[in-house]
Amino acid sequence: MKTALAIIGLSAALTLPAAAQAETLRMAFSSAPRSIDPYPFGGTPTASLKEHVFEALVAADDSPLLAKSWQWTSPTSLEVKLRQDVAFHDGTALTARDVVYSACRMMYLIDGKRNLLTSSMGPITDVVAADDHTVRFDMKAPYPLWIQKMKFLSILPAAGADTPEGPITYDDQGDCGGITYPTRAEFEAGAAAIGTGPYKFVRFDKSGEADLIKNTNYWGGAPEWDEVQIRTIGNAGARLAGLLAGDFDLIENPTTEDLPGLKANEDLTYTAVPSWRSIFLVLDVNAEGAKGVRAEDGSAPLADQRVRQAMSMAINRQAIADRLFGGEATVANQFSPKYRAGAPELAELPHDPAKAKELLAEAGYPDGFEIDFYAPSDRYANGARVAQAVTQYLSRIGIKVNLKTEPWSVFAGKRRENELGVFMYGWGHPQGPAQMISFAFASRDKELGLGSSNYSNYQNDGFDAAMKAWAVETDETQANAYLGEAMRIVVDELPGIPLYYQHTIWAHRADLEVNGRQDERTSATTVSRK
Amino acid sequence: MLSFVTKRLGQSAVLVLIMSALVFVGMYVVSDPVAVLAGEDFTEEDRLALAQELGVDRPLFLQYLSFLGNVLQGDFGTSFVYNRPVMDLILERLPATLEVAFFAMFIGLVVGIPLGVYSGLNQKKRSTKAISFFTTVGYSIPNFWQGVLLIMLFSVWFKVLPASGRGDTVDVFGVGWSVFSLDGLSHLMLPALNLAIYTICLQARLARSGTQEVMYQDYMTFARAKGISRERIIRRHLVRNILIPIVTITGLQLGGLIAFATVTETVFSWPGIGKLLLDSIHNSDRPVVVAYLILITLMFVTINFVVDVLYALLDPRIRYT
Repeated sequence: MKTALAIIGLSAALTLPAAAQAETLRMAFSSAPRSIDPYPFGGTPTASLKEHVFEALVAADDSPLLAKSWQWTSPTSLEVKLRQDVAFHDGTALTARDVVYSACRMMYLIDGKRNLLTSSMGPITDVVAADDHTVRFDMKAPYPLWIQKMKFLSILPAAGADTPEGPITYDDQGDCGGITYPTRAEFEAGAAAIGTGPYKFVRFDKSGEADLIKNTNYWGGAPEWDEVQIRTIGNAGARLAGLLAGDFDLIENPTTEDLPGLKANEDLTYTAVPSWRSIFLVLDVNAEGAKGVRAEDGSAPLADQRVRQAMSMAINRQAIADRLFGGEATVANQFSPKYRAGAPELAELPHDPAKAKELLAEAGYPDGFEIDFYAPSDRYANGARVAQAVTQYLSRIGIKVNLKTEPWSVFAGKRRENELGVFMYGWGHPQGPAQMISFAFASRDKELGLGSSNYSNYQNDGFDAAMKAWAVETDETQANAYLGEAMRIVVDELPGIPLYYQHTIWAHRADLEVNGRQDERTSATTVSRK
Repeated sequence: MLSFVTKRLGQSAVLVLIMSALVFVGMYVVSDPVAVLAGEDFTEEDRLALAQELGVDRPLFLQYLSFLGNVLQGDFGTSFVYNRPVMDLILERLPATLEVAFFAMFIGLVVGIPLGVYSGLNQKKRSTKAISFFTTVGYSIPNFWQGVLLIMLFSVWFKVLPASGRGDTVDVFGVGWSVFSLDGLSHLMLPALNLAIYTICLQARLARSGTQEVMYQDYMTFARAKGISRERIIRRHLVRNILIPIVTITGLQLGGLIAFATVTETVFSWPGIGKLLLDSIHNSDRPVVVAYLILITLMFVTINFVVDVLYALLDPRIRYT
């Protein structure tokens, strides 16, 4: 068997280049996808790869994808109609049974390890195939965020597993009447990597290589490329060299320094798209004082709203975007990008160092105070340099800042142990514009899934009330109104300080057009020939 | 010889034990896998469940003891990040690293030693000065910068060799090797060259100084007086006598090439174990880091042992008792 596969693989490798010449898109990722099994791992590279092959009911921008429409039949029951023209790569048609099967697989712990939605599906009590193309999700309490979460539930064919006869009955252990699921190895070897996406799986290698081939029967129309090759090159210089050498047609994340050179090169260019990732500071506003924040009189300066406003005013966001990013960053005036659908409209945050000094004096800190400011050094584009700029801005209004940039693995551990009083952070907002503030600033509420990352120790009754109302509101307009109310409160109170929204940049051949995605994912479906 | 071997084995076991404890404690102190792997929407219960899944919820020494117990049964644990047995991950990547390291070492020896012997024998020639200049420069260039330079030269300007990846591999004994396919070989050239330049220079300089020293020994004069041909003198008397320091350095360097080709693997995106190590440190994937370093320790111990045995073969005066 192994030899047979090897021979097939070898002959495929030998015959591909000739057929491919003009129609192959060769992309270089900046970090490696972890698996082709769409369930256990999150992360941008893994999602970028899997979305070529697998699709969910809901698209990244919260619009219907494999679903045709959905409707709340009661506050705790969501009815989803499926598209009827969708087929899996193995030829079987998509039905409601496949959605129930996929929900079961999501809850099934392989080797005792949880999947992407294992905890997010906690409120779901039942998943029912009402008819061939209608699925009903029943919940124990109103859970409108499920629509956003459904984009992580890639739909797999029930035919790919050993399922019992008749309808599949959902349970939250993933046993579902005794299904035997395909293993991770079967996914990575390709036998189980069957989805409905525009590209079919050919090969995956754990070093971050994947080969894909066009799905000629794709329901959304014929894909642009016959073949897609994905490689991973972690080092930015080496990635650019690969592009310059003609090894790749498109690469992710060139550095800011390389952009002028790309502009000057007539064979190459780049495309920058404002992403949903917002970068901000988190301040521990605890009235008892915060770790690493020292005032001479022993008080807790960050607990004072005027101090936080002063810190915000000290920072020149436009200069950071222009000087450190060459213009490829958007100034932030709230915690989710203003261009993320549903985000409220808010006024720009002022930059006024003189006023900032006044506010500090008014709050009782005319000579400032001292803070330890932490930033991950290897997580965000230009992260360490932004942290240095912020340090200087804060120093100018008299705050003594000890900047500590640390590798992500170290930083994340300290953050979890609540050891960071002031730190820099970023959120990607795949689950909608409220995602960050609901986790980062709301009081902890396990039932509603609020406040799991409230490292600000922020507590505000008006904000909590708005977030709680938002969390159970199934009407979209009304939910966005609650979100707007909540956002206005935190932007006024500033338990964190918004800085900017990152742009995702792709460098590519000049004869390609890239209609880049705002969720930072790289997809062959966004690349076309001019 | 036997007591030498057993003593060596005992020392190695202690060394590996100390290494594993150091790395284990180091990784534990520095980073928290749960914080790295947990999603933002994880509640405290989710985080505890994750810690249990990973087995990092227990006290450190208990974790270490169960790790040791598993290692004795041949189980190096499961990667936190990839959910796969660590040994599988390492063995998957090892061939790529071995391939590039041995290829580089081969180039280094084949080019370096003759260059060194030649310049040792012809000290006054202009070509010797050129070789000496080349080896000094090549010896001092930082590996990282040199790699980028090679890419600029061969991939971007001349466009003759690919800049990254392994290319097509051919399966031999169930493992893919680049060296057996033309495309793979072209991918192998630049990373191997990047590693080889240093080796060439080092070997050439060693061989040259060795030659200069040996050439004036009495037994060389005697051999010449006996009328032995120049070629035979070089092969039988000169090269054999300069080999001892070369074997030592080659052994250690081969270990170094395998263990620390990290920089070259990064620059050329060569999917070897060096890249795996870097990624794993970055992701606080402790099982991979610990297993990797234990393997590397074992490798160095083995290489040193082989070098010691080779001494005895090369120099009849050395005997281990």
